[in-house]
Amino acid sequence: MNAETKKRLIEGGVDVEGALERMLGSETLLLSLLKKFVKDGNYEKWLISMDARDHEGAVEAAHALKGISGNLSITELYRLFSKQVEELRAGRWEEAQAMRPQIMEAYERATGAIRELET
Amino acid sequence: MSNKNCSEKQEREDTLLIIDDDEINREILYHIFAPYYVIEQAENGEKGLDFIDANVERLAAILLDVMMPGMNGIQVLNHLKESGVLDMVPVFLITAENSDKVMEEAYQLGVMDVIKKPITPYIVLRRVQTVIELFQARRRLSSQVRMQQENLLAQTEKIVLLNQGMIEALATAIEFRSEESGNHVRRIHDITECMLSKTPMGEGFSQEEIQDIALASILHDVGKIAVPDSILNKPGRLTPEEFEIMKTHTIQGADLLDHIPQLREHNSYRYAYDIARHHHERWDGKGYPDGLVGDEISVWAQVVSLADVYDALSCKRVYKDAFPRERVLSMIRNGECGVFNPELLSSFFSVEEELSKLYVKGEM
Repeated sequence: MNAETKKRLIEGGVDVEGALERMLGSETLLLSLLKKFVKDGNYEKWLISMDARDHEGAVEAAHALKGISGNLSITELYRLFSKQVEELRAGRWEEAQAMRPQIMEAYERATGAIRELET
Repeated sequence: MSNKNCSEKQEREDTLLIIDDDEINREILYHIFAPYYVIEQAENGEKGLDFIDANVERLAAILLDVMMPGMNGIQVLNHLKESGVLDMVPVFLITAENSDKVMEEAYQLGVMDVIKKPITPYIVLRRVQTVIELFQARRRLSSQVRMQQENLLAQTEKIVLLNQGMIEALATAIEFRSEESGNHVRRIHDITECMLSKTPMGEGFSQEEIQDIALASILHDVGKIAVPDSILNKPGRLTPEEFEIMKTHTIQGADLLDHIPQLREHNSYRYAYDIARHHHERWDGKGYPDGLVGDEISVWAQVVSLADVYDALSCKRVYKDAFPRERVLSMIRNGECGVFNPELLSSFFSVEEELSKLYVKGEM
């Protein structure tokens, strides 16, 4: 991984050092998993559930995204999904809804940086 | 060859099963554990359970996610608890879950440890490996203990058989000296055992005690070792002096047994001592050496004394021919060989038919 790639990922919200530690230093594995994250269906499910005010579906998707973003050290996204899972579990739907733009922004920032790697 | 290696590998507990619906999480765990274990993956609870059912012997551990579509991790745990798998294979919950309620339930079901996402590789690896080693050591140890127990049992059995063999050898050696075959001691053993197991004379004795008494009965004449050949093998009637010497085989036998310390610790000892000394006592007090009367004579000594008379009458001895069965029974009934306990006699006659089968021609 060159310095430029690493810089872009960090700007996208990925704690590259932390993530590499989890991958036992394997950059190949990290890059491969980040690409899989972009294609992961849970984000779609989350968007649809939030639109449909499907409480259960939203918790499931947010919880899954929390786990994945945590393991990939996409730090800000992990923090936001963790908070949203708590709000949803506590039945605070409006608060959870209010987090939506923030979460979408962090998600776009991360996936945008990752997509650039493919070229 | 490669097949053989493969099947050997499958027999050991070397497989780690990862059950997680998310591929990214599975791959991270795979990457951490692949250098140490054969990794199998299941993308949901149902597939995980199917794999466990078919491969439980080769599983070293199971890593289980909690929130999964369909059957969740807690439901999987419930199934594993019911089928007893949780006692054999350590299960780790790997989860982004923060809820205390879920953790508590998991621990109560018997999960080995809960590891939070995002995971830290060296912590996950260390915790899982430590528990796997513990389980494997426990399995090795318990199979070792089981093997040692089996060995001990086998050795104990050998010692018991050896003891019996030594006792029989000693008794037979003495019988041979008085020119009788070893069958006499064997028949005394069988008659004693039969009387105690199948008649009211054996009431209150356990099977084990009956075996101890039957073994002890073999030694009833052990004191004859101290009686000179000239008396022991005299074809004609003994003089009063000679008979006095012959009678000492009772006391000599008890003394002899008393001088073998290893025998004193044997369960048969107290019976053997008493039988050797008192198998010539009679119910009316006219026996020897102590002239005991009635119930003063132990049940086992009474049984052996009658067995001894029955066998002596039924067989040829140096001093007499074998009597016909009718004659044997009438002599016993009429007290021609001394008076016996009436209950003992009625017990004896109730099984005599069976006992008479011991005296098939050619086996005496």
